Parts: sequence; structure tokens; C-alpha cells
Amino acid sequence: MSDARIKIAIRGLNKFFGAKHVLTDLDLDVREGESLVVIGASGTGKSVLLKNIVGILTPDSGSIKIDGEEVVGVTGNARDRINRKLGMLFQGAALFDSLPLWENAAFGLMSAQGMGREEARVEAIERLKQVGLSEADADRFPSDISAGAQKRVGLARAIATEPEILFFDEPTTGIDPIMGDVIDRLIVSCVRDLGATALTITHDMESARRIGDRIAMIYDGKIVWVGDVGDIDRSGNEFVDQFIHGRVEGPMSRLIAANASV
Amino acid sequence: MGFLAAIGRVVISFLTATGRLAIFAGISVSHIVRPPFYPRLLLRQIIDIGYYSLPVVGLTAVFTGMVLALQSYTGFARFNAESAVATVVVLSITRELAPVLAGLMVAGRIGAAMAAEIGTMRVTEQIDALSTLSTNPYKYLVAPRLLAGFIMLPCCVLVADIIGVFGGYLISVHKLGFNPSVYIKNTWQFLEFMDVLSGLVKAAVFGFLIALMGCYHGYYSKGGAQGVGSATTNAVVSASILILGCNYLITEAFFAQ
Repeated sequence: MSDARIKIAIRGLNKFFGAKHVLTDLDLDVREGESLVVIGASGTGKSVLLKNIVGILTPDSGSIKIDGEEVVGVTGNARDRINRKLGMLFQGAALFDSLPLWENAAFGLMSAQGMGREEARVEAIERLKQVGLSEADADRFPSDISAGAQKRVGLARAIATEPEILFFDEPTTGIDPIMGDVIDRLIVSCVRDLGATALTITHDMESARRIGDRIAMIYDGKIVWVGDVGDIDRSGNEFVDQFIHGRVEGPMSRLIAANASV
Repeated sequence: MGFLAAIGRVVISFLTATGRLAIFAGISVSHIVRPPFYPRLLLRQIIDIGYYSLPVVGLTAVFTGMVLALQSYTGFARFNAESAVATVVVLSITRELAPVLAGLMVAGRIGAAMAAEIGTMRVTEQIDALSTLSTNPYKYLVAPRLLAGFIMLPCCVLVADIIGVFGGYLISVHKLGFNPSVYIKNTWQFLEFMDVLSGLVKAAVFGFLIALMGCYHGYYSKGGAQGVGSATTNAVVSASILILGCNYLITEAFFAQ
């Protein structure tokens, strides 16, 4: 795995929201074909990192390269071309309310790839079946189904175009542990079937262990530890230890208290 | 010094918002004429803005025409000018009342709905999802709405012109005792093409502005349900103010001597 080429290379990434420095000279590599999980507490910059990579946010400085191609500042058709390599499952699924499930799943096929509606419907139903939904669900609307089912449809939409890179934003947040396990297994099987590179952000350690090949810990806008998933319990990093054991006492609590008193 | 700073902040804030709106409008309009196009979305917006607005626009027009006839008659009777009622009704309806009142009604109905729909899409990350699916939100969400507003409000106003004049006719003939054929003759006699055209031009501008305000405030909404609520209110208020302001400017352009 260590000889694999770098699919996503992030160097010196900085992002500010007003005076708040959310990402601080962040460096991170995602190797081709691996599943990297970024863990971290709420408000440490996980979602901001992901949104910078997929182009929803623009960093204030730094570099993000996908397949060696710089993507920071790239807009218009060039950005669309890059985004065709990507698929993303959003935290709340972000399904389009006004479209039936099959059109949600087929959206990328029709919009980005120009596939006809009939052909796209057939393809979408296959994807819905792949994530455990039936053909009878195809004409239902997002508001008619549970949060777990919405995540499945979101996953079907993300994989429909067979992207090279998949992003998962808190895939188990807001669903029960059993459904979380189901979603994680689906993610693992979809990523393996596609042979895709995956980047997941989560604060759910069970989910991180199930999905990841490697884990990176983000704290205060920086990556403070990266290692194989099997090494997480003996990382020797006090931030990781506090986070994975859910301890109140630790370096993160001390820093939060110190910042609050400034 | 603090007072001047406060004024400066307000001015800078206003100019920033105006610039952002202008950029938003420019990008959106550019996507109206650049492929790919989304005819299904345009058709849906045309039906929403045009067809589904007809009842409220029609009701507004018919009652306005009726009241106008009644008010004109009672006023003009004081100096024996009752015969001018038909002319006053048709000119008032076509030049001013149909486009302005239809615009305000549609701003309340459509502008609010657009802001709420797009605002909800913003806060639930649906607009972000569009971007990741290589679909430009301006092209997919905003351009069809702007075009549909621009096309359909004049159609609604044309219908409102007819219904409004009919409302005036109903009251004049059945309540005030006007001769039907004389009333219709008076209606046509002083009506010029420019009267109708000015109303339709106003309607096209108002339709564009209503859609622009709805999309703009929805697109930049934030903060969950409260943010969407604020976006909806701002869309209706700003569209209404722009309608009234632009109404004066277009009237000046058409009729100032």
C-alpha cells in the first residue's frame, strides 16, 4: 500500500472564517485505492477539509492536487471535469426533495453524463438494489423514507457514476447503530467493487474502524496523527488516545480551556 | 465620529449587497443563454409561475376593475364626466394596476416560494450536492426561474388586463346602468397599443425581479429554519420595493413628455 501513488495530495492548506483559523497549514495524502478516515471532535475542521477538496469551499491558501492536477481555484467546466471523478455522500444525504428516488440516484448519470431518462432509470434501479432498496421504492420521494434509507439512496447516487474517488461525510450520524453498521458495510463493499479511493470523515470510532484502511486525526485544523487502522490503539499520540477513549481529561480539554481563558 | 462610522458601515454594507446581487444576476443571465439547457425545469417553472398564479391574479384584477369603475363613477359624477369611466378603467388597468398588482401578488406567492425552496436546498446541502454532481446551481436552479418569470408575468398581466376590464364592465353595465355597446366602444376608443405594451414591459421586468429576489435570497440563506424564514421575508419585501421603484422608472421612460 505504501508504494501506491498519491491520489489526493494536500499541502499547507489554510482556511479562515472571519478571524477564526479553521484549517492551519494542513498536509494530508490519500493513496490510490485506499480508504482513509479522518477522525476528530466536532468543530475541528473535518467538514471544512472535505468541502475544500470537493470545491464547495475555496481555501485561503495551500494546494490540493487530485491525480497530480491542482484543483484550488479551478472553476467552470474544468471543475466539472474534476468533479466527474468524485462522488459524495452527504451527512444528511442531501437528496433532492422534488425528485423521486430513482431520479436522485440517476442525477449524475443524466446531468453530468447526458444519459437518457429510460436508460438512467434502469441503471438507477440497479444501484438502488445494490444498496438494499427495491424497484418498488424507485418512485417514492425522499420525504417518504427513513433517514437510514435516505443514506442508502445518497450512497446509490454517489456510486452511480462509478467515480474514482468517494467522499463520505459523517455516514453514520443520525441513524441507529444497526443501520450504521449496514451503511458502513455498504460503503466498504461499494468502494471495493468500484476499486475507488475513499475519504471519510467521522467522529464515530466504530465506523472508522469498519471503513478505514488508514486513519488520520485532525485537531485544531491540523493533522496530528496518521496511521494504519490497526495501529490506532497503540498510536502513542495523546490526542488520539483521548479521542478514541472518549475521555474528558486530556490535551484537547486543556487546550480548549486555555483558549477559552484567553 | 461614531455616527459617521455607522453611516459608513451602512453604505459599505449596501454597496456590498448591491455588488453581490449584480454579480449573481449577471452569472444567472449568462446561464440562460449558454447550454446545457433544462427544458423540463423551465416548463415546470412556467406552469408554477404562469398557470398556478392565474387564479390569484385574475381575482385581483376582477375586483380591482370593479372597484375602479365604482370609484370613477362616483367621482366623475360630480362634474358630469361619467362617460370617461370606461377609458379610465382600461387605461388604469393596462398601464398600472394590472402589472403592479399582479407583480405584488406574484411576489408574495412565487417569490416567497422560490426563496423557501432554494433556501431549504441551501441549508440541507442540496445545492452543494448539485456542485459535486457536476451541475451548476445557477444553471439548474436560477436560470429557469428567471426566464420563466420574465416570460410568464406578461402572460398573466395580459389575462389580468382582460379580466380587469371585464370587472369594470360588469359593474358599469349591471350596477351603474351603462349601455354595454357604448361602454365597449369607449373602452376601445382611447386605448392605444403603447398602453398595453408598457404594461407588458413592466410585467416582464417585474417577473424577472421577483424571480431574481427569490433566488438570490434563497441562495444566500443560512442558519437553518430561521435563515430560510428571513430569506423568504426579504425576497418578498425587496421584490415589492423594486417593483414599485421600477414601475416609476418604466412609466417615466414610456410616458414622460
